[in-house]
Amino acid sequence: MRNIKSVSGSLLTKNTLNNVKKSAPDTLMFVFRMVLLISIGFVIIYPLIYMIVTSLVSRNGFFNSTRVWIPEAISPMFNYKTAWELMDYGNSVWATVKYELVSALIEVCACAVTAYGFARFNFKCKGLLVGVLFLTILVPDMMVLIPRMANYSNMDILGIFGLVNKLTGIDLRPNLLGTAAAFYLPSLFSMGLRSGIMIFIYIQFFSSFPKELEEAAWIDGAGPIKTFLRIAIPSSGVVITTVLVFSLIWHWNDNLLCSMYLNAEYPLAMQLDLLPTTLTTMGYYLNPETPETLAFQMAGCVLFVTPMLIIYMILQRKFIESIDRVGITG
Amino acid sequence: MKNRKRTRGIEQIKSRYGWIFISTWLIGVVLFFAIPVIQSIIYSFSQMTITEDGVNTVWIGLKNYKYIIGEHTDYLNWLSRSITNFVYSLPIIVLLSMVLALLLNQNFRGRLFFRALYFMPVIIATGVVIDLISGMAGSDMTSSSVNESVSGGMFSVQDIIAVLDLPAEIAEFVQKIISDIFDLIWNSGIQTVLFLAGLQSIPSTLYEASKVEGATKWEEFWFITFPMLSNVTLLVIIYTMVELFVSNSNVVVDHVYSLMRAAIYDETSAMMWFYFLSIGVVMGIIVGAYKKFLQNRWS
Repeated sequence: MRNIKSVSGSLLTKNTLNNVKKSAPDTLMFVFRMVLLISIGFVIIYPLIYMIVTSLVSRNGFFNSTRVWIPEAISPMFNYKTAWELMDYGNSVWATVKYELVSALIEVCACAVTAYGFARFNFKCKGLLVGVLFLTILVPDMMVLIPRMANYSNMDILGIFGLVNKLTGIDLRPNLLGTAAAFYLPSLFSMGLRSGIMIFIYIQFFSSFPKELEEAAWIDGAGPIKTFLRIAIPSSGVVITTVLVFSLIWHWNDNLLCSMYLNAEYPLAMQLDLLPTTLTTMGYYLNPETPETLAFQMAGCVLFVTPMLIIYMILQRKFIESIDRVGITG
Repeated sequence: MKNRKRTRGIEQIKSRYGWIFISTWLIGVVLFFAIPVIQSIIYSFSQMTITEDGVNTVWIGLKNYKYIIGEHTDYLNWLSRSITNFVYSLPIIVLLSMVLALLLNQNFRGRLFFRALYFMPVIIATGVVIDLISGMAGSDMTSSSVNESVSGGMFSVQDIIAVLDLPAEIAEFVQKIISDIFDLIWNSGIQTVLFLAGLQSIPSTLYEASKVEGATKWEEFWFITFPMLSNVTLLVIIYTMVELFVSNSNVVVDHVYSLMRAAIYDETSAMMWFYFLSIGVVMGIIVGAYKKFLQNRWS
C-alpha cells in the first residue's frame, strides 16, 4: 500500500499542482544556498581585493589610515616595476619553469605508471606495498628533507659509488645540490612533491576500468604495456587533467624544496618570500615592517599569482569538466 | 586441469608486469624515502657536524630528546598548541568542504561561476601567498570586517554569544572558529574538489530508486551520499591531516624551518620525530575511529 502511494507521489511530481506546493521550501532553500555561497565567496574574494588595492597604494597613500579601500594616492607603475625588478621576475619565472614545472610534468607521468601497476595487477606483498604508499603520504616531506639534502651533496646509489671511491680513489659521486636533477630524480621515481596523493587519485580512477577491457586487449595480443599506453592513458584524460593541475599548482607554490636545494637562481615563490629582505638590502627601507613595504609585497603577490591564474583560466573548463566526469566511469 | 595451469601462467605473467610497473616507485621508495627516514632517525639520536665530505654523526643516545622535552622551554608548549589546533581544525575543514561540495554539486544558476570562484583557494592556498595575505588581510578582516558584516555593525559576535548564554567553553570555541574562518575556508579548497569528484561518481540510479521509494532528502544523504563518499572522506581526512601537519601556520613547523635554515639538524630531527609520533598517535586514533564507526557500517 505504501509503495503504491509513493509511486503515485513520484508520478505527481510532474504535475504543476505539486510544483506549486513545493515552491515555498524551494525558495527558502534557494535563499539559504545563495546566502551561504555569497558569504563564503566574500571570504574568498576579500583578501584578493585587498591584495590588489594595497598593491596600488603609493607611499603617501599610507599616511591616512582611515582610507583603506579607495586609497588617496596611487602609484601602480612604480610599485609593480619595483616588485618586478626586486624579484628578478623574468629569470625567476624561468627558474620556476626549469626546476619546478618540468619536474611536475615528469611526476604526472611517473605516478600514472606506478598507479597502473597498483590498480590493475595482483602480486605478492601488494597489501604491504599499499601500506608503504600510505606511509609515504603520511610522512611529510619535511621529515626526510635533511637526509635527502645530505645525500644529494654527494649522490650515491646504494653505496656503489662510495665503494668505488674507497677502492680506487676516483670520486664518482656527483653533487646534485643546486642542479635540476635534485628536483627531477624524485619525480622520476614517483617520490616527488606529494606524489603519494597523486598515485592514490590515479589508483582510484584506474581501478574503475572494467576488467573486460584488459582481457580483450590481452586476447588481441596486446601486452600490458601496450594496453597501458594505447587504452588506459587515452581514456583517462580527465584524471590526468586533475592531477596535472594539482601538480603544477603545488610545484609553482613550493618554496620549501627550493629553499633547501638551491643556493642561487631562486624560483619565484622563494623570491616572493625573500622580498622584504631584498627590500632592506637594496636600501629601499631600513625597516621591513613599515607599511609601505606592504604595497611592494602585494604587488609581488599579484605578479606571482597571475601566471597560475592564466593557466587556470585556460585549463579551467577542462578541469571543472574533468571533475564532473571522473565519476562517470566510476 | 590443463586449463587451471594455464590461467595460473597468465596470472604469473600478469604479476610480473605488476612488478615492472611499480619498479620505479620501489627504487624511489628505497632511495628517497626509506633510507632518508632511517638516516633522519639516526640523526635524531646523534650529534651532527657538517664536514666537506658529508655529515659526521656521533651517537649520543636520547640526549636530543631529553633536551627538547626536559630543558627546552617552549617545545612542549608549542606541541600542545599544535595538537589542539590539529584536533579542532580537522573536523571543521572536512565538514566545511563536504557542505561546499554538496552545494556546488546542485543544479542552479551561476553554478559555474561559483565553482570557478571556489577553486581560487586551490590555486593560491598552498604557498607563500597564503601566509602573506592571511597574515595581513586575514587578521585585519577577522578582527573587524567579519564581525561587522556578520552583525551588520549593530552588535558583535560576543554580544550574541552573551545573549545565548552558552557555557564558557562553547562560547570560546565559537569565537575561535569565527576568528579562524578565513584560514579554515582557505584551507578547504582541494578537499572540496576531491569531494566534488566523489559526488559525481555516485550513480544517479541510486537517487532515482530512492525517490521512487519516497526517501526524504535527509535519508538520501545519510543512506546514499554519505556511504558512497566514505572512501573519498577517508582520503580527505588523510590529506587534511598531512596538510595541517606541515602547514606554516603551525608553531612547531615554523620553528623547525627556522632551525633548518640555520643548519641545526640533529636537534631539529629529534623535534620533528617527536612531533610526528605524537601527531601520529592522534592520526591513528582518528582514522581508526572513522573506519570502525562510520565506514564499517555500510560495508
